[in-house]
Amino acid sequence: MDRAAIVHQNFLDRVQNGTLPIGQMAQTDLPAAKLVEMFRSQCLSRQLDRTSRNMQKAGQGYYTIGSSGHEGMAAVAEALRPTDMAFLHYRDAAFQIQRAAQVPGQNIAWDMLLSFGASSDDPISGGRHKVLGSKALNIPPQTSTIASHLPKAVGVAYSLGLARRHAPEHRCLPEDAIVMASFGDASSNHSTAQGAFNTACWTSFQSVPLPMLFVCEDNGIGISTPTPDGWIAANFLARPGMRYFACNGLDICETHHVAQQAADYVRKHQKPAFLHVTTVRLYGHAGSDVEASYRDAKATMADEANDPLLHSVRLLTELGALTAKQAIDIYTETGDRCERIAAQVVTRPQLKTAAAVMAALIPPKRACAPTIGPSTAKRTATFGSDMRAMKTPQPMARLINWTLTDLMLEHGEIVLMGEDVGRKGGVYGVTQKLKNRFGADRVIDTLLDEQSILGLAIGMGHNGFIPMPEIQFLAYLHNAEDQIRGEAATLSFFSDGQFTNPMVLRIAGLGYQKGFGGHFHNDNSLAVLRDIPGVIMACPSNGADAACMLRECVRLAREELRVVVFIEPIALYPMRDLHEAGDGGWMNTYPSPDKRIALGQVGMSGDGTDLAIVTYANGYYLSVQAAKALKAKGVKVRVIDMRWIAPVPRDELFKKTEGCGAVLIVDECRETGSQSEGLMAMFMENGTKNLARVTALDCFIATGPAYGVTLPTAEGIADAALALLEGGT
Amino acid sequence: MKKTAVLICPGRGTYNAPELGYLARHHAGELGEFDAYRTAQGQETLSALDGAAKFSARIHTRGDHASPLIYAASLLDTQSLPDEIEIVAVTGNSMGWYTALAVGGAVSPMAGFQIVNTMGTLMQEQLIGGQILYPFVDDNWRPLAGKRDQLLELVSDISSRKDHLLALSIELGGMLVVAGNEAGLKAFEAAVPAYDRYPMRLPNHAAFHTDLQAPVAALGREILGLDLFGTPDIPLIDGRGVIWWPGATEAATLRDYTLNAQVVETYNLTKAIQVAAHEFAPDMFIVAGPGATLGGAIAQSLISIDWDGISDKTVFQSRQADDPVLIAMGRDDQRL
Repeated sequence: MDRAAIVHQNFLDRVQNGTLPIGQMAQTDLPAAKLVEMFRSQCLSRQLDRTSRNMQKAGQGYYTIGSSGHEGMAAVAEALRPTDMAFLHYRDAAFQIQRAAQVPGQNIAWDMLLSFGASSDDPISGGRHKVLGSKALNIPPQTSTIASHLPKAVGVAYSLGLARRHAPEHRCLPEDAIVMASFGDASSNHSTAQGAFNTACWTSFQSVPLPMLFVCEDNGIGISTPTPDGWIAANFLARPGMRYFACNGLDICETHHVAQQAADYVRKHQKPAFLHVTTVRLYGHAGSDVEASYRDAKATMADEANDPLLHSVRLLTELGALTAKQAIDIYTETGDRCERIAAQVVTRPQLKTAAAVMAALIPPKRACAPTIGPSTAKRTATFGSDMRAMKTPQPMARLINWTLTDLMLEHGEIVLMGEDVGRKGGVYGVTQKLKNRFGADRVIDTLLDEQSILGLAIGMGHNGFIPMPEIQFLAYLHNAEDQIRGEAATLSFFSDGQFTNPMVLRIAGLGYQKGFGGHFHNDNSLAVLRDIPGVIMACPSNGADAACMLRECVRLAREELRVVVFIEPIALYPMRDLHEAGDGGWMNTYPSPDKRIALGQVGMSGDGTDLAIVTYANGYYLSVQAAKALKAKGVKVRVIDMRWIAPVPRDELFKKTEGCGAVLIVDECRETGSQSEGLMAMFMENGTKNLARVTALDCFIATGPAYGVTLPTAEGIADAALALLEGGT
Repeated sequence: MKKTAVLICPGRGTYNAPELGYLARHHAGELGEFDAYRTAQGQETLSALDGAAKFSARIHTRGDHASPLIYAASLLDTQSLPDEIEIVAVTGNSMGWYTALAVGGAVSPMAGFQIVNTMGTLMQEQLIGGQILYPFVDDNWRPLAGKRDQLLELVSDISSRKDHLLALSIELGGMLVVAGNEAGLKAFEAAVPAYDRYPMRLPNHAAFHTDLQAPVAALGREILGLDLFGTPDIPLIDGRGVIWWPGATEAATLRDYTLNAQVVETYNLTKAIQVAAHEFAPDMFIVAGPGATLGGAIAQSLISIDWDGISDKTVFQSRQADDPVLIAMGRDDQRL
């Protein structure tokens, strides 16, 4: 028999018969009305679970992972304020329902049923995905089952303290807010979650404010794998800098009392706390899950006997807040109400076209207060002796540093974070002096954990900052890329453009670094980023472009709320010369701060029509060298710098290559999976006849003298160009 | 099987010439306690007002007369509803909130009468400011693009002028009720295009649901004690769209809202109707009598959320002909 039906009948029978589970006597200061309100939230959560299953059976619903057994989370919501941003576990319908009672004018049953039915009216995701979430309730949407929302929750918590000192124009949260994030016992083991706990502790240990409430909903089982008895308590009882609280989530009086203590502690001391809420899991993992196939029937029945709704009836009747009949009436009437609402919800529209689904990949722009930039006096005082150096050509690293300085002067909401970005000035000195210029709270030396760096950035973006996180090397992104792929990039999509986490992520990478290099520092694959919908990737080849593109990236984040990745080619940071030693051909003077290169605008050197070389970064540098050799052989050539890796500037590339006899793509990334594959396909589909590519080999980068042997060279590019031209004539 | 309904109690302006004698026609012999209370207060009885030889706007639209007349008519109407109707929630427009309290069981019929009579009398005595009605929908009850925002901007602009007080009083479906002092009202009337009956000044109405009513609210709180208030048996939806659930409501909080925010802040009937639809999905909406002028605002509120396929006035009227979604007890042809 369907366990949901068994649990339902158990509730009715046991309340009717008065055979309620035993438990601690009710102890609470809450008025009876508030307890009944929470019980109503619990009943609505339960009835929504039942309705979602009925909708699915009728082919009208698409989501059945329920909150049954976790309804005690209503009491946690009651202990918090609706301005406390909450990143919720997927079993937290009761939390969201109870929070809705704190904000006037909510249609919580309607809204949640719309999400089950994937209606485009669903106010959080617009029918794209079943998520818990609400803009009005300060609940950013979550889909995560692996606690990957915890690093960004920590980031938001950090932003609260910073916003007190540097309030950003688009600040979202009040000064006295705290942040809550909930998750299951199983996902607390995830390395992402552990990273977030560690970061919170590391921060708190240094007495840096971090008002973060972690809530672990421990139902004792992760899909089919039991959590060892006592594991959560043993794991979290004594973490440095983080206070542990525990409560019985079946008892709303106790849960509220302890959650209130935990919330008060976090708010007062601005330190993280871990609230361990024991619950049960009813109905198995999801609608499609047959719990009996992996779980002992006795364990299932023991959970069912401890239905939190039965415990609530026991507590409320003990306190005289409700009679058994009133409890059944509330439960039943709520069920009837859900059925009536569901009958209406299934008539509401759903998304039908690709354009409609994709509309939320990019959020709406926001209006920002106009700025006129810093005064000359302010710039002079900030830059100091660098002002004089600006008059002479400089390599890329320096120009990026000055660009960051000007951007941070102009926009107080820009914050840098990363390993060694502060005191050391970054691994290649790109952020040198910025800490002195702008203070330790705007140039944050983080702990060594890329997931936490990105989580910090995402969280700061949630509260109106423009974070510019730095990942030291491209290869180090890979352990943390889900924070971009699964979290930052999806936020607008899952929230119908209502929640955003704008940022400019700077990453040093790519090959050709002489001396100390190799794979871990010079990884040459951007594949992990280029397929993520909505993410912008910029990759400059020279200092002047880097300055102008970085300004555009910040504009895209600040005004258009975009997630932007800015790849800085390490080998070009110090590059001075182009063709021969001392020619200074790869240095530029600092472009005036009002100059930008717009998204999608490509660069071009030469205007020959025999051959167009399409490339970027080091490939552009080498291709310009190759072009000189080709010209000497009478080939009329142009070299096109894509500058923007994603989205690929298709139209511009077609325009710039129009009328050229051949197109050679030069890609310093690996042959497999890199942008040259996409470019080849794109030009082929556009009818380009004479087309070839030069790429790196499918290999990791070596350290030492062989650092470049797997990479394209100027000679190789020239040879490939000649071969292409010969083959095509 | 019972039909579910959300009950809506009308506000001021619904007892007009056609309604004269409404209580006698529908509720003869049911006014005893109300009349006795009025007599004890030295006020004319409802029976006498309702039984007047002819309607007098000067007399019948006064707050101390209209409010109790409307309250009595609405409350008694709801008490006569057939058993096959299950009221799943109650709301009201403006002073209809006081009636909703009684219909929902949060106050007794007499306590409700005392509240409405007191507040109506206080408002008449103070008579601070006035109200104007102005639509932002077309003939088919679809919103005119940008019109509502334009009107709200105008209200904001006027209220920023010296000695001009003007604010949004009621969100009334496809209409806005703005309220303010004479300077504010005149400026609004001068600024908006006149057509049909609009801009329509509402006679004997004060600047309800604005800050201007703060003295009335304060007096109300002095006079009307907590003992008059209880908690509802049926969910109540207030002028912010908040649901007051049975068992989950505290009388003191309900009194505080009723005699404070409800009096001095914008009353959003549109939101209340929309919450009623979304959260209770009733088979029908029933507007208690007297009068039937609230029907348009309710229909417009439902149209604005495309409720149950009702996308405009034409669809609404066609639906009304086949399977009415809105019943006005003030209309003899719809009375249940």
